[in-house]
Amino acid sequence: MSDSRGAAAADFELTVEVCVDARPLPGFHSTRTRTYLWSRTRFIDERLEWTGTGKELFFGFLMVLLLLGLPFLFLQFGVQALALRGFGGLAAALGVAAALMIYLMVGIARFRALRYRLSRTFWHGIRGGSDDSGLRYGFSYIYKNIIGIIPFWLLVPWAMVSLWNERWNKMSFGPHPFLSSARAGPLIKRFLLFYLAPFLIALMGNMFVYSNFPPMFAVIAMIVIVMGVYVLLALIALIYYAAFLREGVNGLTFSTLEFKFDARTDDWLKLFFGDVVLVILTLGLGSIFLQYRHWKFFITHMEAFGEIDLETLTQSPTKVSKHGEGLLDALDVGAF
Amino acid sequence: MIEVHPWHFDGRNATRWKPVLKGDIGGFRLIGEGWESGPWHWSDLVAMDAPEGQRLYGHRHEHGWRLGFAEDIPAELDSLLPRRPRYGGIIDRIGLLRASVLLASGAALLIFVGVKAPGWLAPYIPQSWEDNMGDAMVGNFGGRYCHTQAGDLAVKALVQKVDPERRARSIEVANVDMVNAVALPGRRIILFRGLVEKANSPDEVAGILGHELGHVRHRDTLTAMMRQMGLSVILGGLSGDMANQLNGVMAMSYSREAEHEADLAALDTMKVANISPAATADFFRRMDVKDAKRNSGKDVHSAAEISDIAEWMSSHPSSESRYSLFTKSVRRGHSYSPSIGEADWRALQNMCAQDRKAASGWNSALAK
Repeated sequence: MSDSRGAAAADFELTVEVCVDARPLPGFHSTRTRTYLWSRTRFIDERLEWTGTGKELFFGFLMVLLLLGLPFLFLQFGVQALALRGFGGLAAALGVAAALMIYLMVGIARFRALRYRLSRTFWHGIRGGSDDSGLRYGFSYIYKNIIGIIPFWLLVPWAMVSLWNERWNKMSFGPHPFLSSARAGPLIKRFLLFYLAPFLIALMGNMFVYSNFPPMFAVIAMIVIVMGVYVLLALIALIYYAAFLREGVNGLTFSTLEFKFDARTDDWLKLFFGDVVLVILTLGLGSIFLQYRHWKFFITHMEAFGEIDLETLTQSPTKVSKHGEGLLDALDVGAF
Repeated sequence: MIEVHPWHFDGRNATRWKPVLKGDIGGFRLIGEGWESGPWHWSDLVAMDAPEGQRLYGHRHEHGWRLGFAEDIPAELDSLLPRRPRYGGIIDRIGLLRASVLLASGAALLIFVGVKAPGWLAPYIPQSWEDNMGDAMVGNFGGRYCHTQAGDLAVKALVQKVDPERRARSIEVANVDMVNAVALPGRRIILFRGLVEKANSPDEVAGILGHELGHVRHRDTLTAMMRQMGLSVILGGLSGDMANQLNGVMAMSYSREAEHEADLAALDTMKVANISPAATADFFRRMDVKDAKRNSGKDVHSAAEISDIAEWMSSHPSSESRYSLFTKSVRRGHSYSPSIGEADWRALQNMCAQDRKAASGWNSALAK
């Protein structure tokens, strides 16, 4: 006997069972946490399953020590030493090389983190992955980001979207590849907000300089201005990132499935301020729930449409690497 | 004979099968509509995290292979299925308490080795490596060294007296207005202008120099550097300030030992050079008066307490204890000779004021 041999039901939605069940989080270790989150996330008719292990993450961590530790140590001590000795040119050249090396590693790390997560995620007994090592992506990461910056940062949205596409287009789940065709165009308007920021800052500064505030008030005004600049920049970044993630996910297709991510800027703000309140009111203890909150946010705003044939969704032929995403953890770049 | 109805993923495609499981103690087979798989062995099953009210098993060698049961399964079957690991392989095997003790002692050992290893290793690092590293790091100290003809001769005379074996590769006076001196990697010692100018006699400077020579002889600088870097590597895995503070406190407690050893070395040096430790003792006493002045307004008892706390926390032994150490070493009725002559002493004190070319100042990084 078998059910769902043919096509499964249409219109799929990811739902998370919001209630935390009787057991507490089974530990703060990332593997345990992820096992917990995945197993409580339902995609169509079946839970996700996380099969990554702590050992893999530890291997990843050791790789970081080796691959990043050396260039970093050189940047930290060697460059200074050479410069002090009078080899300024050589110091600069080697310093740039070490920095590029670290940049390359960050790129590869981003790629491999996604690859690792897909290869350890099972659904209906099938996993994802990629056969690409991520080296080419690492070089793309360097040159696209550099190109993005050269015309006064104007091409940064293009670089981000193009890297997102490049990354996802190398990934697969079961026998089917992901296809990513996100566009940078819809992001430009929001990105241009960043260019407004200097004018607003200058405006605030002018108000400050040309007014005859009493000293005490001037100090307060200064603090408000400095804080304001940070808040403003963070807000613009959020407005932009909300659009970026929507465009990225909406441009993603998998076999016959399409995805939609509908978190808007105000949703992100709610998430952010919820985080702040949670952490402050609990004097920091609440921070253990942040990962859960973020995952729930991601899942509740994520939707999938279409039909998937379970019989032709066969096991992934991709290689399974032995190490985890230590590289990414060490660099502390986000998941998505 | 066991016969139950589990659900099943075969790991080949995504279909959710509902076969019949038929088996006994030796193993089982899965029989579906038009297909059959097995024999499977109970010992190859791995218990996995399952939702409330369910049991889930994977297979040791088959990726994505899953077998799921509702909670109410026959006792006969239950006894054949592996248990769900509670904490993880090793901890479950030896027990949580034993594992905690084992891991805690492992961590303690690791920290102990981390603290001690630099001291063990430092003597085996070739001196030439340290010298090269020191040269690279220090260079010409940003052009802050003071030089005058008479001053250079005075330094030479002082070195001849205190360091006749030339244990230090370079001893310089730097145009930095701090009452201090440092031993840097690569057997380099720097006396700061503030120290030289505020000292009452050359013997004071000789005592401090003897102390820094002690650091050079014991290779303390290298040890401290290795520990700072080595510990940051180990503790870098943790996050937050705790690790940093721990690191700092450990570095301090180590260097207090080293400081005392360096003081003993200084006394030794002065004995050989026939210089009286009295002037150096007086220098420490004055340092102490400064402390007392800073603490004025508080009663003596609490100032003494503060001094005790300072002794624990500071990287130097308190000036008070150093004062008594150096005072006790003065031999009554012994005829000491001055470290350098009057003219040399004046040249030494004035060399930074007279050398207009020396760059000046330093950020607070060195000001301890």
